[in-house]
Amino acid sequence: MLSPDILQRALISFQIFLFGMSLYLLFDSNLRYDFLARRLLADLGSIYRGTYVLIYFSNPTSAVCNTVQRPAIEKLRDLLGSSLQVLEVDITKEPELTHRWKVPSVPATYLINPRGELHHVNYGLAQAEELLLQMFIG
Amino acid sequence: MTTQILQKVDHSALKANQITIITLSLLAFILNIPALVVFVAMVMGIGSLLKKPGFVLLYYHFYKPLGILKPDVLDDHPEPHRFAQTLGFVVLAGGSIALFLGAGVLGWGLVWLVIALAFLNAFGEFCVGCAVYYWLARFQIPGFTKRAPAGVFPGMKPKREFLRNA
Repeated sequence: MLSPDILQRALISFQIFLFGMSLYLLFDSNLRYDFLARRLLADLGSIYRGTYVLIYFSNPTSAVCNTVQRPAIEKLRDLLGSSLQVLEVDITKEPELTHRWKVPSVPATYLINPRGELHHVNYGLAQAEELLLQMFIG
Repeated sequence: MTTQILQKVDHSALKANQITIITLSLLAFILNIPALVVFVAMVMGIGSLLKKPGFVLLYYHFYKPLGILKPDVLDDHPEPHRFAQTLGFVVLAGGSIALFLGAGVLGWGLVWLVIALAFLNAFGEFCVGCAVYYWLARFQIPGFTKRAPAGVFPGMKPKREFLRNA
């Protein structure tokens, strides 16, 4: 039989685990996206609904943005044509928008589905193939 | 400017290390065995000195053969992960000292800090110690020379390059 002390410590551990998981789930990507979506999709009033929209945050001085991410997005746009609308945000010119979208670093890409819902977020480089999979698989 | 050459880092070996640290530290708390905390701290310290994950032998002789973890080799810097392990060793060592001096709340609190950060690293794919390393590198602190791989948020696990040369 386990001693009461061990049982108490196991219970404490379980409670700490539950608390930690609650915190994690609170900031889980899907929940975070819903939170961001409710607050921020008002920025996308001009978006043509019915297509996927890719919001791409970049910095003109970022080598990764210019030499890797932008070509990847252009490759995706060439592939999908009018099924994908791409909006590029220069963080040096739109600091308030960047702050509102809580962009931690560039490149950052936000994928909006045809229903106008925030579908996926990438903080860091995302290749064309990865973005394509995110669009159709999730 | 420091040359930023990425190396092949098996993130599964790091994960095995973190899972073992979490498991043993949890057991130490539940069974109230401060000596086990000392053991884990020592292994982490030795690993830091040898520039390897402390429980890397378990990865090669237990996790990998049993198929629990498969190799996950990514282009990354090993230095921030070593620094994170060193930080973990320092915190666990501090926790051990606190426990043996009778400061149970402080001691177990530090142990739980290591458990929480190892858990975040293993399952949340975010290394707080690595983020601290990269933050110190930004301020050009001597000894902290590496920058996060291009396109990777400091502390986050690098992504696998997708369909390279497809």
